[in-house]
Amino acid sequence: MTLQLVFDALSLGGIYAIAALGIALIFGVMKLVNFAHGQFIAFAVFALIVPSTDAVAVMGLGAAPALVLVPALLAVGAGLAVASEYLVFRPLRNVSPVALMVASFALGVVIQNALLVIYGGRPKAISLWPELGKPVRLLGAEVPMLQIMVICAVLLVLALLAIMLKRSRVGLEMRAAAEDFGMARLLGVRANAVIAGAFALSGALAATVALVLVAQTGVADVRMGGQIMLIAFIATVVGGMGSLPGAVAAGFAIGAVSVALQAVLPIEARPFRDAFLYGLVILVLLLRPQGLFASASAKPRV
Amino acid sequence: MSKLGIFDLSVRYGKLTAVNNISFTVAEGERVFISGPNGAGKSSLLAAIAGEVRAAHGRIEMDGDILSGRVPEAIARRGLSMVPEGRRIFRALSVQENLMVGVGLRRDKTAVPDDLEAIYAAFPILGTRRHANAGALSGGQQQMLAIGRALMTNPKLMLVDEPSLGLAPRVVDEVYDRLCSLQAQRGLTLVIVEQSSARAGRVGGRMLLLRGGQIVADGDAASFAADDLLKEAYFGKAAP
Amino acid sequence: MTEHQARKLASLTTPLLLIALLTAFVLLIDAFGDRSLGRMAAETLIRVTLVVGFWIFAGNSGVISFGHAAFACVGAYVSAWMTLKPAMKSLLLPGLPDWVAQAEWHVLPAAVVAGVMAALLALATGAAILRLSGIAASIATFAFLAMVNTIWANWTPVTGGTSSVVGLARYVTPWVGLGWASVAIVVAAIYGASASGLALRATREDEVAASASGIDRYRHRLAAFTVSAFFCGVGGALMGHLIGVINPDGFYLSLTFLMLAMLVVGGIGSLSGAVVGVLVVSIAVEGLVRLEKGVTLGATQFALPAGSQEILIGLAMIFVLIFRSAGLLAGRDLILPAAWVAGRAKTTK
Repeated sequence: MTLQLVFDALSLGGIYAIAALGIALIFGVMKLVNFAHGQFIAFAVFALIVPSTDAVAVMGLGAAPALVLVPALLAVGAGLAVASEYLVFRPLRNVSPVALMVASFALGVVIQNALLVIYGGRPKAISLWPELGKPVRLLGAEVPMLQIMVICAVLLVLALLAIMLKRSRVGLEMRAAAEDFGMARLLGVRANAVIAGAFALSGALAATVALVLVAQTGVADVRMGGQIMLIAFIATVVGGMGSLPGAVAAGFAIGAVSVALQAVLPIEARPFRDAFLYGLVILVLLLRPQGLFASASAKPRV
Repeated sequence: MSKLGIFDLSVRYGKLTAVNNISFTVAEGERVFISGPNGAGKSSLLAAIAGEVRAAHGRIEMDGDILSGRVPEAIARRGLSMVPEGRRIFRALSVQENLMVGVGLRRDKTAVPDDLEAIYAAFPILGTRRHANAGALSGGQQQMLAIGRALMTNPKLMLVDEPSLGLAPRVVDEVYDRLCSLQAQRGLTLVIVEQSSARAGRVGGRMLLLRGGQIVADGDAASFAADDLLKEAYFGKAAP
Repeated sequence: MTEHQARKLASLTTPLLLIALLTAFVLLIDAFGDRSLGRMAAETLIRVTLVVGFWIFAGNSGVISFGHAAFACVGAYVSAWMTLKPAMKSLLLPGLPDWVAQAEWHVLPAAVVAGVMAALLALATGAAILRLSGIAASIATFAFLAMVNTIWANWTPVTGGTSSVVGLARYVTPWVGLGWASVAIVVAAIYGASASGLALRATREDEVAASASGIDRYRHRLAAFTVSAFFCGVGGALMGHLIGVINPDGFYLSLTFLMLAMLVVGGIGSLSGAVVGVLVVSIAVEGLVRLEKGVTLGATQFALPAGSQEILIGLAMIFVLIFRSAGLLAGRDLILPAAWVAGRAKTTK
């Protein structure tokens, strides 16, 4: 029972962490709080099925073998994010973070309604990798195969991202740009390349979240990225704006708290779980406005 | 052909004119100090040359190429490097990572490891602390790191903004010693903003005096130091 | 009269001009419009109330709030609780406390109480949220919006949950809307000219300088947030009584988006920008909704697919941000020239 809760917390927290990273990466390099991230996730979900407003979903890309499907979907997510950067955020490079945030909110509405026009408003049942639903016995607990896969995938993504940021040229330039973009440019770091790179990564992370969501819920809904995006925002604030390790830690922490709430709250209070969660977060911020995981020396960025 | 040419350059922030119609040239290998009181436009001049702020008017050339209107990264790629005011090191990165940020623009990637060792030889403290967080360095060490970081781009022309700011005099001596010997080794052209004209006189080189966004004097730094012109630049013309 | 006095007097003409503009709008539609246009006019004026309320906070503080739709939600339900027939309430909302279940208030005090409840909620949540810096505060208001929506969608005995509450008295005409919109505009103008409003705008221009001069940013933000929520609460109540039906999702992301779009299009920098933004976007929305329903052009029936309204408004918002980032009015206010106000009294320098 307890072990089951640990797995729940890890898999839920892992998804939150990945989504929070997608937000924090972009915030780090260009101080944009991307309110379209949830719609990036929804877009990647719908990229799996053939465009039509019919009630029954027909798998398109989703029918491909995983070895093709996963990289292709990551590319779709990255492509959408890079296109958004090029068309919307690049012309807005010199406006305030507040205006950027408002623009991203508008972009999110545009993407969501474009999906609505193309696919219709009703949620559709889709089945991705149904064989992963089978439970396996692990350390004396019944754990769905899917949950183990999710946890492994999350750890893999985090490890790859950490290696990329720590060891690669692009990663170094991104970290430098996140700290002082102007200085990085004076050292020859190409602003456009770094920003496009951050968007591509963020889009690929959104697609990762999309895959996990679809596999878990079996539904495609134009609104499905919204709740995760909100949690991801909260994780980036709690983790200290722009701090990548902070975002990951806060993502896992929020996952753990929400699983714990689900277990502890009486049945009639469970529908309010998220409300408790948001309230709790506002309380936490009241006590530590700079974020839970921000080091004391980190200067405020906003 | 001069290394750097500034022609009729003006920089404005809104209604405020920081640099007012300045022209001068810098020869290859020269060391030029830019001095003057606060608000004379020294830092704005450097920022305009490096492409950080857009010139309101005028032209900037390097080796006969027009720099004005280009983005900072494009200017850096032409061999101009900047040690900015306040040093602006990347505090969350290690010392070595700081040094490596500017390497991306180089075509001679194979020379990078040797250059890195050369920087560590010139600034041994950076070598011993290469894996430390740059934020943990002292002010003088950060200044050396900022200089080393600029040198790692293998520049032909280096702009240095107030290297002595906030440092103890002994440390300033050390910074200038290293800067001058590096210049001699590499055939660098240096443009240095230095508030203290006495300091500039001791280090030696040419000096431009700025006041109110204009050049009020141009000559040998050593002969300037005790000159009346200097007082005039700082305190205004004495009544006859 | 000095020039300074004349200018100050001239700035007082802004709310009067805005109210005159809205009155002309209502008169025009009253004279030439059909029933559906009349409803659109009432809706537009309710939005003026909402967006002007929103502007009192966002425009003066420079902080974007995503939470104001939640205040509208609270306002709408409070008014429903106080005005619905007791028989209706025992059927739809069995969980209401007795005195509320029995209440059958007149609509006007109910609207005022709706605003007051929203303001109290703002005071409580703002006390926590507004300690955060700008962007983090925006995110926290978004969490607040989601929190209110989650509670309202699940607290079925009291809110009816996701099923709509029906049967609200449909008393809101364009003139009722105009009344409340005018009150909102006057209060917004008074707040903007008050010491608190001026201090808050100083923090918007330059946070460091303002805090150095001893301005307590947090206190002024909280004051603006509270006043602002009052009008959003009233606006929410009016929306309920315009359509007669309320639902938590009617006060969620689409309303947030619409309010933001109006503020951005008109320009967040001035009160006139907020009002003009509402008019422009409302007229555009009305046109697009008609196109979505379908129009007959000669022999062909032509209709935009559902959702294209949001797409076009969203694109318009992005275009405004790119090409005219300060909005249509670019922070200016409608104002009578100072010389006119001074009238025959000679202006001296």
